[in-house]
Amino acid sequence: MSDLHVVGHPFWAIDGVDKVMGRARYVGDIHLPEMLVAKVLRSPVPHARLARLEMAPALKMPGVVAAVCADDFFEHGSLGYPVKDAFVLAHEKVRYVGDPIAVVAAETEQAAQDGVRAIVCDLEELPGLFDVEQASMPGAPLIPLVPPLGKGNLVAEQIVRYGEPRPVLDGCEFVLDERYACNHQEHAYLETEGALAVPDEDGGVTVYANDQSPFINRDNLVMVLGIPPDKVRVIQAVVGGSFGGKDDIGYQTSAQVAALALKTGRPVRLTLTREESMLASYKREAMRYHVILGADSDGQLKAAKVEILADSGAYASMTPLAAWRASVHAAGAYRYEAVHVDTQVLYTNNGYSGAFRGFGNTESVAVIEQAVDELADRLGEDPLAWRLKNCLRQGDRTMTGALLDHEVGLTRCLEWVRQHSDWDRKRTAYARQAPQDIRRGIGVACYFHGSSLGGEGEDYATATLEVEDDFSLTLTSGLTDFGQGSRTVYTMIAAEALGVEPQRIHMPRPDTQISVESGPTVASRATMVGGNATQVAAKKLDGLLRKAAGDALGCLPGDVARFGEKYVSPSENALDFEEVVKHARQMGLVLSVRGRWQIPTIEWDFEQGTGKPYFCYVFGAQVAEVSLDTRTGHTEVLGVWAAHDGGRIIYPQGAAGQMFGGIAQGIGYALMEDMRFDRGYSLHTNLDGYLVPTALDVPPVDLKFIEEPFEQGPFGARNLAEPVMIATAPALANALAQASSYRRRALPLTHEQRVLGDPLLPPGSRQRCLTAMDLNA
Amino acid sequence: MKIHFDLNGQEVEVEASASTTLLTLLRETLGLTGAKPACEVGECGACSVIVDGRVVDSCLMLAAQVDGRRVVTVEGLVAAQDGPNDLQQAFLDAGAVQCGYCTPGFIVAAEALLARNSNPNRQEIRQGIAGNLCRCTGYHQIVDAVEMTAARRRGYKSQGNRGGHAKDALA
Repeated sequence: MSDLHVVGHPFWAIDGVDKVMGRARYVGDIHLPEMLVAKVLRSPVPHARLARLEMAPALKMPGVVAAVCADDFFEHGSLGYPVKDAFVLAHEKVRYVGDPIAVVAAETEQAAQDGVRAIVCDLEELPGLFDVEQASMPGAPLIPLVPPLGKGNLVAEQIVRYGEPRPVLDGCEFVLDERYACNHQEHAYLETEGALAVPDEDGGVTVYANDQSPFINRDNLVMVLGIPPDKVRVIQAVVGGSFGGKDDIGYQTSAQVAALALKTGRPVRLTLTREESMLASYKREAMRYHVILGADSDGQLKAAKVEILADSGAYASMTPLAAWRASVHAAGAYRYEAVHVDTQVLYTNNGYSGAFRGFGNTESVAVIEQAVDELADRLGEDPLAWRLKNCLRQGDRTMTGALLDHEVGLTRCLEWVRQHSDWDRKRTAYARQAPQDIRRGIGVACYFHGSSLGGEGEDYATATLEVEDDFSLTLTSGLTDFGQGSRTVYTMIAAEALGVEPQRIHMPRPDTQISVESGPTVASRATMVGGNATQVAAKKLDGLLRKAAGDALGCLPGDVARFGEKYVSPSENALDFEEVVKHARQMGLVLSVRGRWQIPTIEWDFEQGTGKPYFCYVFGAQVAEVSLDTRTGHTEVLGVWAAHDGGRIIYPQGAAGQMFGGIAQGIGYALMEDMRFDRGYSLHTNLDGYLVPTALDVPPVDLKFIEEPFEQGPFGARNLAEPVMIATAPALANALAQASSYRRRALPLTHEQRVLGDPLLPPGSRQRCLTAMDLNA
Repeated sequence: MKIHFDLNGQEVEVEASASTTLLTLLRETLGLTGAKPACEVGECGACSVIVDGRVVDSCLMLAAQVDGRRVVTVEGLVAAQDGPNDLQQAFLDAGAVQCGYCTPGFIVAAEALLARNSNPNRQEIRQGIAGNLCRCTGYHQIVDAVEMTAARRRGYKSQGNRGGHAKDALA
C-alpha cells in the first residue's frame, strides 16, 4: 500500500488552525443579540418526592423572561435509551444530587440565578440507596418510577453462556476466586456541557450543541418538544472533548434551551459551571466483579465464571449496554473451554452513570488482567509469557465462543512490549529486590475489544460528497468530530479514494439539515464505519468523473489513468480535475453522491447469552513500570510501552494522540481519579479535588501500531480510540503489585489507598455540593 | 471603574465593575473568547493569559488588577498575514491539538516559557505547562511542539533572524 498519497502520511487536523489561534467558537463563545442566559435549579438531596413546584415567583423576578419544568414537555419530557426512565427535568421525583428540576431564562446570569432561587420547590426526602449490593435486597428504597424489568431496582441483566464452566473448574489444578472493584470516573472534558437554541421564524428551533450524536439529539427534541422533525435542526458546535460523556446530558440541556427559545422567541444559551457539570453529568459506572478462573497443571486457562454488579446510579443511561460490553469481554483476550458471565445493573442514588471511553471493557480489562496476573503468579509463571501461551490467535474462539476469522495481532503486540520495555530482565530483577524503601515494579496487561456497536444496534453511517461551483468538494458525515479527529480522517480517506488534493475538500460539522443520519458517534466506530461510508461516496464520485473523463478523452472509463489530480487516456491525453468536472456537468451528470456502509449483520441472543457479539476485534498490550516509596506510598510512573493492532493507521498524529491521551486517562483511572459518593453526595465538585493527570504525571511513552490490515475497513483500518486506554490501569496495578508485594484489588489506587488502604477523603459534603450549585443550604 | 491597559499591543480603556474577573472582561466586554472558562478556580489553565510577561489564570485575576499593565492573549500571538505563528504551527505539525479547548491556554503558557527559557529540556517544558490541563492528548505532542519551536527559534537567532511576532509581543 506504499502507493497511498494521503492515508498514513503526516497531516494537520483540519480544524487545527482555528483552534491554535483561539478562533474556534465553542457554544460558550457564541454571543447573539437578544440572547438570554439560562440557569438550572438542581436537586440538593439524593432522593425525594417533588411535592410542590411553583415557577410563578421566578417569573416575577427582574430580568427573568421564562422558566420551564417537566410539565412543559410532551409526556413530561420522558427520554432515555435503551431504558426510557429519564426526563428533561425531574418528574415526580428527584433521584440524585444535581438532578435538574427547572430552568430559568433571563437577561443576565445573575437575574437567571435569582430566578432559580425564587422557585418554590418542596422536596419530601425519601430514604436513599447508596450501596449497589443492597439495591436488590428486600426493603431497599425503590428508585425508578416504573421498574424497567418489573424487578425493583434491577435495570438490566446481561449474560454470556459458552459451555459449562462448573465441571471444567472442578477439574482444574489451579483455581483463582477473588473479588475486585472499580470506582466511578469523571470524564473531565475541559469544556463543560452547553447548548444554544435559536428560534426560527417558522416556529421551529435550531440548536447548537456540544453533544456527541446530533441526530439522536434531534430525534429526542422532536419527541419531547412535540413538534415535527422539520421544525428542529441540530448543528454540531465545536466540541471541547467528550470521551462518551456528552450524550444524554446533552439531550437534556438541548431540550431545556429549545423549550425556552420557543417560549420566549429569543436565543437562549445554557453552559454548565464545572461544579454543575461534575454533580449533574454521568460518570463511568462503578463495578464490582467476582472472578473465578481455572487452569490445568500445564498452566492452560480452561474456564471462567464472572459475576458483575454495575452501579447505574439514578438513571439507566448507557449502563445497560456498557454492562453488556463488559460482559462479553469479562474473561479477557484468552482461549477458554467454557465461560459464564452474569451481570446485574442496578439503580442507586449515586449520581448516575453512562458511557465513558471503553464502555465497560475498561472495567473488565482492569479486573481480568489483574486476575490472570494473580493466577499466573500462583502457577509460578511469568505473567507475560503466560499471556502469550493463553492469548487469542487467528482461528481461535473468544470467551463468547465466537470464531476469530480475521487477522489477530495480539501476540505481536505482547512481543513488542516485552522487547521494548526490557521486560524479561526487569521483571526478574524486580522480583529479587532486597527489602528497601524505594521499590520498583513492572506489569503487563493485554486486551481484545469488539469493534463498533456489535450486538448493541444497527451499525451504519452515511457520507455525502458534492462538487461545488468553484471545484471544491463538500464532504459531510452524520458522525461527529468532538476532538478525536474524525473529520480529518474522513478528509484524508476521501482525498485518497478520489485522487484529489485534500485541500480541495471542505468538511463542515454535522448539521441535521445537511448531513445524513448515521447513528451515534460512539464505540470507536467513526474510522471504520464512517470511513467506509466516506470511501463508498468517494468511489461513486470517482466513477462519475471517470465516466466523464473517458467521454472527453475518447476512451473507456476503465482505461482512464490518474496522475495526481489529472485524468489521463491511454494515448496520454490529460485533463485537469476542473476540466473533467466541467465536462461531466455538460453531460448532465449530477456530481453529488451519497455513500452508506453498514456492518454485516451479526446476531447476539441477549436472552440466551450466545451468538457473535461483534463483526471484528482489535487487540493490544501495554507494559507499565513504576517506582514506589513504601514509606510514603509515593508512586512514580517511570514508563509505559504500548502496542495496538487497530488495522492500518489513516492519520498518524491523530492515532498517536489517541494513544498518548488514552494512556494519560488510564493513569488517572488507576492512580488518581477518585469519583466517589458519600450518601449520594459527590466528594468532588471541581478539578481542585478531582485530580486528573498533568504533564508531570505522564511518563515517557513508547508506542507502536501493529498494522494488521483489515480487509473490510477503509484502506485496512479498524479502530483504536477507546481500547488504547484500557490496558494502562491494570498494567499499573500489576506493576504496583510487584513493587509492593500486595494487591488491593480496587481501583483507583490513590496515594492514600496505597499507604493506608483508605481513600482518606473528607465525608461527602452536602454543604459543598449545595454551594457548588449556588443553592442555600 | 475605568481600566486602561495594553492588550495585545493596543491601548484599551474599558469600564468594569470591581468584581469582574479579567476572564469575564476579555470574553464578555472585549469579545476575545480565546481564553476559556473551564474550572474557574485556577486549576486548569484554560483561561491563561500573559500579564507583564507572566502567565496568569485570568479567572482568578480581577479586571482592575491589569490597570496600567500589558496583557497578551492568544489572539495577540499571530504571525504576519494573520496566520498561525511558529509555535501554533508546531502544535499542528506535532498533532498536539484534539478538541482544542485547552489549546489557547497551552499556547500562551508555552510562549511565556519560551520567553524566559529559550532552550528548555523536556522536563522543563513539562514543568512549564504543568499548570494547564489537557484531557485529550496526554501532553506528549504538546511537549514535542514546544521543543520543536524552541529549536527552530534558536536556529533563527543564530542566523540573525527575528523569532517571530510572538516574541515581539512579549518583549
